Amino acid sequence: MKKSHVLQLMLMLAMMALLAAGCAKKPAPEPVAPTPPPAAEKPVVSEMPARPVPGLQEQAVTELPVAPETVAVAGLQRIHFAFDQYILSDQAREVLAGNAAWMKANPGARVVIEGHCDERGSDEYNLALGERRALAAQSYLVSLGIDSGRLSTISYGEERPLAPGRGEEAWAQNRRAEFKVAQ
Amino acid sequence: MIRLLLFTLIGLSLLAGSALAQIEITAPGQQAIPLAVTRFLPLDGPVRPEIAAEVDAVLQYDLDLSGIFRLIDPAAFLSDARQPGLNSTQVDFGQWRLLGAEAVIKGAYTVQDDQLTVEARLFDTTGRRLLTGRRYLGKVADARRMAHAFADQVLKSLTGEEGPFNTRIAYISNKTGHKELYLMEVDGHESVRLTDHRAIVLNPDFSSVGKELIFTSYRAGNPDLYRKEIYSGREARLSHRKGLNIAGRYRPDGREIALTLSQDGNSEIYLIGTDGTLHKRLTNDWGIDVDASWSPRGDELAFVSDRQGNPHLFIMDVFGGRVRRLTDAGKYNATPAWSPKGDRIAFTRLEGGRFDIYTVRPDGADERRLTFGAGSKEHPRWSPDGRFLVYSSDEGGAKAIYVMRGDGTGNRRISPPGGESSHPAWSGPW
Repeated sequence: MKKSHVLQLMLMLAMMALLAAGCAKKPAPEPVAPTPPPAAEKPVVSEMPARPVPGLQEQAVTELPVAPETVAVAGLQRIHFAFDQYILSDQAREVLAGNAAWMKANPGARVVIEGHCDERGSDEYNLALGERRALAAQSYLVSLGIDSGRLSTISYGEERPLAPGRGEEAWAQNRRAEFKVAQ
Repeated sequence: MIRLLLFTLIGLSLLAGSALAQIEITAPGQQAIPLAVTRFLPLDGPVRPEIAAEVDAVLQYDLDLSGIFRLIDPAAFLSDARQPGLNSTQVDFGQWRLLGAEAVIKGAYTVQDDQLTVEARLFDTTGRRLLTGRRYLGKVADARRMAHAFADQVLKSLTGEEGPFNTRIAYISNKTGHKELYLMEVDGHESVRLTDHRAIVLNPDFSSVGKELIFTSYRAGNPDLYRKEIYSGREARLSHRKGLNIAGRYRPDGREIALTLSQDGNSEIYLIGTDGTLHKRLTNDWGIDVDASWSPRGDELAFVSDRQGNPHLFIMDVFGGRVRRLTDAGKYNATPAWSPKGDRIAFTRLEGGRFDIYTVRPDGADERRLTFGAGSKEHPRWSPDGRFLVYSSDEGGAKAIYVMRGDGTGNRRISPPGGESSHPAWSGPW
């Protein structure tokens, strides 16, 4: 073979090698002519299961206890709290003294102490904080001589605001403990 | 010589000719694949454009929410959009490449009485091949579910992980005048009320095994923990101890429930069985301990406590009992939600009277804020694949349920209008 032929051959081989190296990561090309769809293109078949309807079945009312009724009375006043606090202020203690007096004057009455929070804060944390407020009021009433058997507590967290709306005025009203007579 | 040159040129052109691009996804949001979703065509039987429109709407919504795709405007579609194409030889990929689409979804439907068959295909336009195909059999009323299932499958075939679009979201709404428990699909459709307690129902959580929910209700005059089987409707009162029975959370294996009880005079976290029996008390300090959230392996709990002053997040090792503090920043952190992927914990921080959603690594590093702007965003919960978050927000006035991607983008309202909706929970595979 002539020297120039060898050179041309080597050049072409070198070019092919370079390009082949550059294309090394690419997989083999698909043939251009149309072919029948490969077997791998069969779709997977899914059957939708029968669609059950979520049940709104109601348990018979007699099976579960129903919430007891409570009622507010004029002689039992509410007390208020600072944000994220369950400490009783002096004003709160005065109101509690008045409530204790009413309870002593009405010896048959059982009282439910409700703890409430303003809407800021997480709902669950507020349920716990509301309970602390109710328990703080309960323990003060007991210290004033009220029989603990006449008292129970429940927290409503931020679920039952007194004042709707936002802002410190509404929030301050909602941070409270209420005193209701159990029926 | 010339023959050698020709042979070389042909060889080179074959090698360099069609480069098959493999669609590789690392994470949503990092790469937007241009995708064309075509209207499904009738294969056999009557033409039902409303079915095609429903399937189309569901696919566009789900695949847009995924964050992986940029949906190409259907107004730009060429004639191949109107051609049936259920295998790769039937599709004119050149047309789709012209529009810049790297993937195209095509399909067909057949209606016979109330039976519906839907064929769905996802094609790679560069490689000119089928990536995934499904045939769905069911009733006409199942059209949306079939479309959600295909969207899940599209994500699975491209990322290896199935999407959550066929799962369910539970939430609380007061539209009847009382807070009751509701169930809806991930796009807010088919909302149905599950309880009729006429008191206050709060804070649902799905079991990972079986279609049931736990929640707190004041139905009997006290915040008690209830369990409800979704399809039979059967309810049972699981924990009605004195005081609070709140924030119940199934362990990921579904065998135990963490919740907050105050029967011993202070809010503490306990473990109970799925029959309600007390198994173990987990916290024992003077503070409020509430809002437990399980790690995906069920060996740790993130929770809220004010034991060090203001409410902050802590993490407890359930077996050893060791507690470490997770959050330092902010004055009030709440509602932790541990991602099913395990790598991040979502939570809310109260600042300036409103909550925003953040995520943080379980070791406390890399805190990122996800929500901004007006409104208070609360109670984030993760989708079962860990890609999305559902939460409540009052940015529109009344509280409503929203979903967004795990990086905070793509937020959209999903709850139906009326009343206030809150306390969402995201089911597992349905």
